[in-house]
Amino acid sequence: MSFRPLLFARTDRQEKMIGLNRAAAAFVMVAAAAMTTGAAAQSADPTDAGKAIFKRANCVGCHKWHGNGGGGYGGDALSLRKTELTREQIIETVGCGRPGTGMPFFTRGAYDTVKCYEMTRQDVGGRMPPEANTFLRPKDIEAVADYVISHIKGKGEPNYGECIAFFGEGSRVCDVYKAQQSTDTNTATSGQSK
Amino acid sequence: MKDFTRHRLSLRAALLATVAAVATIAALPGKADEVTPERLLNADKEPGNWLLHHKDFSATRFSNLSEINKGNVKDLKVAWTMQLGGVEGGGIWTHGGLEGTPIVENGMMYVTDGWGSVYKIDTHGGKGTLLWKMDPKTDHDWAGAVACCGVDNRGVALWGNLVISHTLDGRLIATDKETGQVAWQRQVADPDKGEVVTGAPLIVKNMAITGVAGAEYGIRGWIAATDLTTQKEVWRTYTIPGKDQPGHETWKDDQNAAASGGGSTWVTGSYDPASNTIVWGVGNPGPDWDNEYRPGDNLYTDSSLGLDADTGKIKWHYQHTPNDPYDYDSVAENVLVDVPGPNGSTEKLALEADRNGFAYAVDRTNGKFVWGLPFVKKVTWTKGLDPETGKPAEYDPSKQVQLYNAAVTPSRQNKVTDICPGNMGGKNWPPTAYNPELKLWYIPVIESCNRITVEEETPAKLKKREFWTGGGPSQPVRITGSVTAIDVTSGKIAGKFETPFPNLGGILATPDLVFSGQPSGEVMALDGKTLAKLWEFNTGGGVNAPPITFSVDGKQYVAILVGLGGAWDKWFIDATPELKKMQPGSMLYVFSL
Repeated sequence: MSFRPLLFARTDRQEKMIGLNRAAAAFVMVAAAAMTTGAAAQSADPTDAGKAIFKRANCVGCHKWHGNGGGGYGGDALSLRKTELTREQIIETVGCGRPGTGMPFFTRGAYDTVKCYEMTRQDVGGRMPPEANTFLRPKDIEAVADYVISHIKGKGEPNYGECIAFFGEGSRVCDVYKAQQSTDTNTATSGQSK
Repeated sequence: MKDFTRHRLSLRAALLATVAAVATIAALPGKADEVTPERLLNADKEPGNWLLHHKDFSATRFSNLSEINKGNVKDLKVAWTMQLGGVEGGGIWTHGGLEGTPIVENGMMYVTDGWGSVYKIDTHGGKGTLLWKMDPKTDHDWAGAVACCGVDNRGVALWGNLVISHTLDGRLIATDKETGQVAWQRQVADPDKGEVVTGAPLIVKNMAITGVAGAEYGIRGWIAATDLTTQKEVWRTYTIPGKDQPGHETWKDDQNAAASGGGSTWVTGSYDPASNTIVWGVGNPGPDWDNEYRPGDNLYTDSSLGLDADTGKIKWHYQHTPNDPYDYDSVAENVLVDVPGPNGSTEKLALEADRNGFAYAVDRTNGKFVWGLPFVKKVTWTKGLDPETGKPAEYDPSKQVQLYNAAVTPSRQNKVTDICPGNMGGKNWPPTAYNPELKLWYIPVIESCNRITVEEETPAKLKKREFWTGGGPSQPVRITGSVTAIDVTSGKIAGKFETPFPNLGGILATPDLVFSGQPSGEVMALDGKTLAKLWEFNTGGGVNAPPITFSVDGKQYVAILVGLGGAWDKWFIDATPELKKMQPGSMLYVFSL
């Protein structure tokens, strides 16, 4: 299928076609990346790109790798595991930050060229959220939202499997969850209630 | 290809050098550059060297070098600089910073970066030449996720032919001074428990003393001694007493709060050879702000401890803020000074400038309170200290949960409240300095208030490697700083030099000068008596480390590491908005006339 130049207003069908082309291109890139990493091809997760952004954009700095946030010397980051935000709301929150809190905005031009919560920089005033250390493109924000939805939102306590999935096999960060897991297993096999 | 060959040759040379070095140690145990316990005891007799973290065992950070003095300090210029590394992030941190004190011996300087790499620099010839770098390959994720307050390392110690250092992931490392090869290493702290190590080791006799950080992660604090000849632990003294130990009765809850009661020890202490006593400060109880979780005085949190150096046994303690609801650490160094007392006697004092805003002098032979006074401009949590006991005036030993000035004290009933000083202090880890000739003690001050929001903790919320703070601070109020001088003979403030930003670096004193810095980039020299500013240089990076001075080739230099990291630019930056523009960096500056 060839890519036709847009000489007239897009129809829904054409939007979908463009989307498919982009998806196909993305697939080729993912496949190429997977081929170079060998075994990764089997475990390719469509939200791996979002996980990479979760790390690169320093979401872990406040929400931690498991997304639970919480506590903290500088106050709370909200728990993404317990969040009730929808995908669209997560996208908006990442792009625009949360006024009056430490959650930064990741969209270039937020509150200036791009309105946030229907507010400009002037409207938001002293509650202007901080600017993130890195800006994310809309597709990156969607990817990180997809990662949060599929791997973090609604999950219970963090466990060893999740930790290894985030840091890779052998990370010492995960040992505490491994210990926890074996305690849980021992308790279960000895017939005591968990 | 040529480079490859050279690399192979240098590798072979290094291997041979290691063998040679080992042989040398065996053959010549007393060679000139060997750092013996005797040399450390007499560190002040080597004026050109900076042999110990706090300059000497008394922790004075006073050098009697006087080539640079108040008459010529205006001519002080950059002699050389060196770019270091270690600024990369890890865990919850976007970048590291430099908080270390350089050690200098016979013209060789040893500095660390935040991830614990050690750099040996030859300072001869008016320039700095990097001889080797030992990268301990610190586990960034493992340690960086449980470091409450930055990717920090405050420096090395010297012993024998070894450089002794710590890593954030809890190791004690001995590196061959000549070759930069790791001779041995030992895991002292356990990041799986939320323990990390940021302080420099203190060498006492043949032992390295290690302190731990992690009171924000539910640890039970300790101080540990490692025998450097056998590489085995000699003693480990917990700062929270066990069930059968005195002091355990000050934890009056029924949920085993002591087990996660905090009491970190992350600032290098001092040592009194005359009484063989290590004096070491202990940090806040955990959870920081929910003191109703842990009724009782919570010994030995927020205390200065006197420990028998050979056994680690606690000889005496002095607690500053019982049942602390403010995060008012007493982790600071104790400066050991002798001053004339009544009737021709000598007062043997331990001086400590506390996070709670008060400076204390206690008798270092028994821990008895001598005097105390506020060194910050604003204190709201108490109306003052009891003149006899030094306890906060509102302290009521019959109460299990202290409220002090209840109107401002964070509690389950008063969940959002502003306190002064703020929870960073007062005075944080940046070290004081003491001029024994002028009898003046200089404190690097954070003039602050901040807002505390309390969250009630429950045993179910206590999780390994997760924050255990019972709330958190925010910064609605601008924070400034000062260098404040106290006359130790009278226990009164002798002067205050105010600065636009908090003092996050610490102090060096020479016979007539005081050196310090600002997180906005300036290094400065003040008149030791009047605190008038005599010289300033803007490094262009945030000063977050203490200056030192040394001499080589007969010439005096002032050295300081520059690179803003630590807790400030993650947790407290809103109180100093201009510092948001400071860039991460990692640079050594050396000045001379």
